[in-house]
Amino acid sequence: MRALIWAELYKLYRQPRTYYALGAIVLMEVVILFSAYYQGSALIDVLMSTLKQSFYFKGDLLNGNLLVYVILNTIWFHLPLLLMIIVSGLLTSEYKDGTLRSIFVQPVSKSKFVLSKYFVAMLFTMVAIFFLMLTAFGLSYTIFGRGDLIVYLDTLNFFENNDAMWRLFWAYLSGTVTMMFYSVMSLTIAIFFRDTTITWILATFFLILSNLMLRVDFGTSLWGKLLYVKLGESWQHFFYYDINWQEIVLNNTILLGYTAIVMGFGILVFKHRDIA
Amino acid sequence: MIRHLTYLTYFFFCFVLQAQETDRDLLAIKSRLDSIDHYEASISLDILASFIKMPTKYASMTYEKDQPVSFTSDNFILIPKRGLDFTLTQLFQYPFITLDRGIEKRGDKPLKVLNIIPEDDQAEYTIAKILLDTTNRRIVESEINTRNEGSFKLQLYYNTRQSALPDRVEITFELQKLRLPFNFFGKDTQIDRQELRSLDEKKGTIILRLTDYIISRTGEKR
Amino acid sequence: MIVSGEGLTKSYGGNIVVNHVTIRCGPGTITGLLGTNGAGKSTLFKMLLGLVKPDQGRVIIESTRKKPLSGIIEKPCLYGYLNAAENLKIFASIQKTPYSRENINHLLKKVGLPTDRKDPVKNFSMGMKQRLGIAIALINDPEALVLDEPFSGLDPIGVNSLRTLILQMAREEKMAVLIASHNVEELSKFCDFLYVIKDGEIVRSDTAKTLITQYTDQYLLVGENLNFSGPLERFNPVLIGNGAEIRCNPNEITKVLNQLVANGGTIISCVPKINMNRLFQYSQL
Repeated sequence: MRALIWAELYKLYRQPRTYYALGAIVLMEVVILFSAYYQGSALIDVLMSTLKQSFYFKGDLLNGNLLVYVILNTIWFHLPLLLMIIVSGLLTSEYKDGTLRSIFVQPVSKSKFVLSKYFVAMLFTMVAIFFLMLTAFGLSYTIFGRGDLIVYLDTLNFFENNDAMWRLFWAYLSGTVTMMFYSVMSLTIAIFFRDTTITWILATFFLILSNLMLRVDFGTSLWGKLLYVKLGESWQHFFYYDINWQEIVLNNTILLGYTAIVMGFGILVFKHRDIA
Repeated sequence: MIRHLTYLTYFFFCFVLQAQETDRDLLAIKSRLDSIDHYEASISLDILASFIKMPTKYASMTYEKDQPVSFTSDNFILIPKRGLDFTLTQLFQYPFITLDRGIEKRGDKPLKVLNIIPEDDQAEYTIAKILLDTTNRRIVESEINTRNEGSFKLQLYYNTRQSALPDRVEITFELQKLRLPFNFFGKDTQIDRQELRSLDEKKGTIILRLTDYIISRTGEKR
Repeated sequence: MIVSGEGLTKSYGGNIVVNHVTIRCGPGTITGLLGTNGAGKSTLFKMLLGLVKPDQGRVIIESTRKKPLSGIIEKPCLYGYLNAAENLKIFASIQKTPYSRENINHLLKKVGLPTDRKDPVKNFSMGMKQRLGIAIALINDPEALVLDEPFSGLDPIGVNSLRTLILQMAREEKMAVLIASHNVEELSKFCDFLYVIKDGEIVRSDTAKTLITQYTDQYLLVGENLNFSGPLERFNPVLIGNGAEIRCNPNEITKVLNQLVANGGTIISCVPKINMNRLFQYSQL
């Protein structure tokens, strides 16, 4: 299994598309950062216009922490799309180039092979988000400095600099669990459909559907609590003034459970299918 | 008939004469506060409001006579626009009249109640109600109605009987027509939009705690 | 016997692609599978290699090696963005085989590839890719090799050198080699045994020599001063350029050649031509 994982990592490392993906993430981030600057500016004006009735402000709320937060809000559609394209390509390219045949004429276990693909997909997702986080913090803090973070989530919440930084960090970690779910889903779609273009279309459709479902208010029903799109928003909970760690951990655990189920299903299908 | 008219005229003039005299207790407190040229203090600020969550903020405050109060802080801080005028310079800036409203109790303590009405239209307030601790010569509570910015209430607490400046101040404030961006952030909020729209006013309290006072009075070296 | 398929059957969507095929290949022998495009050769090989599960029948591999069987299906599938050595490294690592620089160079030399070429294999010619594909198939020393259309896309020099390599593996290393092709000329030159497949069924199987002898009824003669007059007329010679095509059985060709030489002619080449229609006709096996 280790040898398979090593082989997958090596292929990922040597493929030009990996670097295009990471480059796209940085580029996307830079664009978002500058649009975030103007968004953040407008947002603070709106939020603070009411408070200006009773308060003066000392200090700048338009700082690196706010911009990292805006990036965080914006990235959760674009990033999974990019990840789904790259991750599904881990398998569809092998179907397309026929290298899957070359692999399975060797004494290789199908389950272990596809499991190694899943493992590398999740690892790549973690690395991509870590890279995103690093560049987001780096660029934002370098250009815009640090300071208090203001977030509106049921109430106007003010977080001091260090507290804000940790909340943002944990939010990225929580978001990583969500992104891993999407990556695993895209690989499973690739197992089913094999063709690169069809897989991309279906993965994009899945993402769009997820975003639409996110906007539906399921209230306090079970759907609202257990639907994967709702669980995937757990990162937001770090920006309530009092963090409900129990709920966040539970949500992410359930989401990891869903990820495991999707992965298991994909492995089962791959194992029983012919390598055409 | 003439007798009744005479009595009425007598009582009227007594009343008017009484109103036109500035209250002596207030003047004594004013004089005490006027003697403060400069003070510095460390402050902690907490906001108690249903719609704001903020950790305790820390800053340094500096007062110079006839100058606006200044603050320094390492972090972002919300500074209340009203209620920092502990020497009540704002009230005494223009000529005013006082009306004695009797005694009110706060806890066991009897406090003298006065209305202060400015005689100049340039004054920023229309009427103020203040409660005086005449024994210790200080103001305990004030409620000021401003011309354009609503009203606010100030409660001042003192550590010792001799303190001229408060150690704790509670300022209540109101926000008119609270505007918040529903769809900007916090996509999954549980806010009842109907409920929020119906609340045009939002009330809250600012609690200032002041410590490490350095006070300079007129004639004293700093 | 190292590898055999017994009664293998496979259908896709109601269409029977391979129908009760039995095929065997022993050590040190080269067995050919001759069939037209779409006859079921690739599907049969995929079943032998375990890529596709047969609907009926079984594959028997008599070997104790970690990797008894290897091969190439349709075309060598390589990681185009990696170079030759890196491709070998990847495939070796998947099989948990030590892949030192030495091992890799040994394999590359074995198949006649340069050891110092660093550019990605997408730049390789078809012949070089075939060789690399065989090198990958040879990792872990399989006892049997299954090659599906290995000569496809190769120039005559490439075909020649690949043929030499295959012969070497069979004769010197005692590998069982199973080759599929639609080109009877290629297979007839070096196969020991031949299966003929048509519409998913084996219609003929025998030694290559027997089948060629049985189904050759024409020869292409190339030479100078070829005189087909007299008794040679009955062979219906059709003159083509420097030569002629004649209808002739294998047991008569020697006489014909001798007569032509006696008539003052010079024979440069004599190529048998198999009657494909008869070869691919259904018969009782």
